[in-house]
Amino acid sequence: MTVVVLIAAPEGLRGHLTRWMVETAPGIFIGTPGKRVRDRFWEVLAERIGDGQAVMAEPAKNEQGWAVRTAGRDRWKPVDFDGVMLMARPRR
Amino acid sequence: MAEPWWKANPQDLYQLEDRISSVYVERCHIDRDENAVVLVNKERTVRIPAAFIAVLLVGPGTRITNAAVALVADSGTAICWVGERGVRMYAAGMGPSRGSQLILRQSWLVTRPKERLSVARRMYGKRFPGEDTSTLTMQQLRGREGARVRKLYREHSQRTGVTWERREYKPGQPHAAGDDVNRVLSAANSALYGICHSVITGIGASPALGFVHTGSSVSFVLDIADLYKADYTIGLAFDLAKEGRVSERDARLALRDRVAEGKLMPQIVRDIKWLLLPEDEELIDRDLSGLWDEKQGVVEGGVNWGEEIFDEGGFIAVIGPETPQAPTEGTAGGNPQ
Repeated sequence: MTVVVLIAAPEGLRGHLTRWMVETAPGIFIGTPGKRVRDRFWEVLAERIGDGQAVMAEPAKNEQGWAVRTAGRDRWKPVDFDGVMLMARPRR
Repeated sequence: MAEPWWKANPQDLYQLEDRISSVYVERCHIDRDENAVVLVNKERTVRIPAAFIAVLLVGPGTRITNAAVALVADSGTAICWVGERGVRMYAAGMGPSRGSQLILRQSWLVTRPKERLSVARRMYGKRFPGEDTSTLTMQQLRGREGARVRKLYREHSQRTGVTWERREYKPGQPHAAGDDVNRVLSAANSALYGICHSVITGIGASPALGFVHTGSSVSFVLDIADLYKADYTIGLAFDLAKEGRVSERDARLALRDRVAEGKLMPQIVRDIKWLLLPEDEELIDRDLSGLWDEKQGVVEGGVNWGEEIFDEGGFIAVIGPETPQAPTEGTAGGNPQ
């Protein structure tokens, strides 16, 4: 299962994603896209998110069982701690 | 003009077998909102993951906008206009982004007597589990099938106490001929044809290229529907006749309730693939457009292979008259419901 969260996404981007996944709450998308399809729409999301933020949690072959991709401005970034993925927040 | 950013490339889309087979919608307005396909009625709006379904079944009481159709087609999704719950298929549409692999395969099989016979045998083989049909001729297969349905009619007649003389129907006129049970069976069958028709269209096979049936624009639909009559319509017709529910509508609604259990459509998709595709071959539903060459197979399309630029004045667009201004409530066209 893949979860995508869009925060402050520009108009039309959330709607676009609903063609591929189901929006369960504002900005939260759930679906079961394959890797190829995920890679393709992540490209679009990362390119168009602008000043908003996009996060995608997807299944992965690691100890945690999942991986995260992020895009957008002032976003939290995934950091690798010896194989454990944690998120680093920018300090203001 | 550059392509709009929301246009899907074939690589962006789910393979057909990864999709949900169908979503049925009725009594709503289908539109486009913020690049999403939305269903709107008085109470709520629902967004459809259009790229995640194989066929959108559009039922009674719906209205669909051009913009919505553009999005659905771009998602590689077929649209079928159907009666209630997909019984009765009126018309279908399909965008240009699908591949032709399945239909090419189907036409290859249907035009070669040996291959055609082997597909027909598999179709019959599904109905005679445990019997070896691989050496039978079409005549023998038809004989077996006749005996099988006669036995079915007899068994259901004993089970329900409804008398059975013989099968009677008028082709193309369901519910016209025969006694009650015959008429109900014809009506239920015609509903089953609608469902099979939409699935066949939806996965990109041809409804016309039949293996057992031939000569009609829905020959393949008749072939496929025959696989399910024993499970879905024959018993049902006897049950309805026993209860005295013998109108055409009774038959349609009863079949609709069976279909709503949701097992039939995915089954049809699986069976069509099993019949047409060789073992373990993946269906590529991408548009692999090219130009056919008798020596090289396929050469690249979209390239001018000629010596000179061809004449580009080759088509004329005709634009209709100005339409009158729509009423301000935004309900242009159609009849108020």
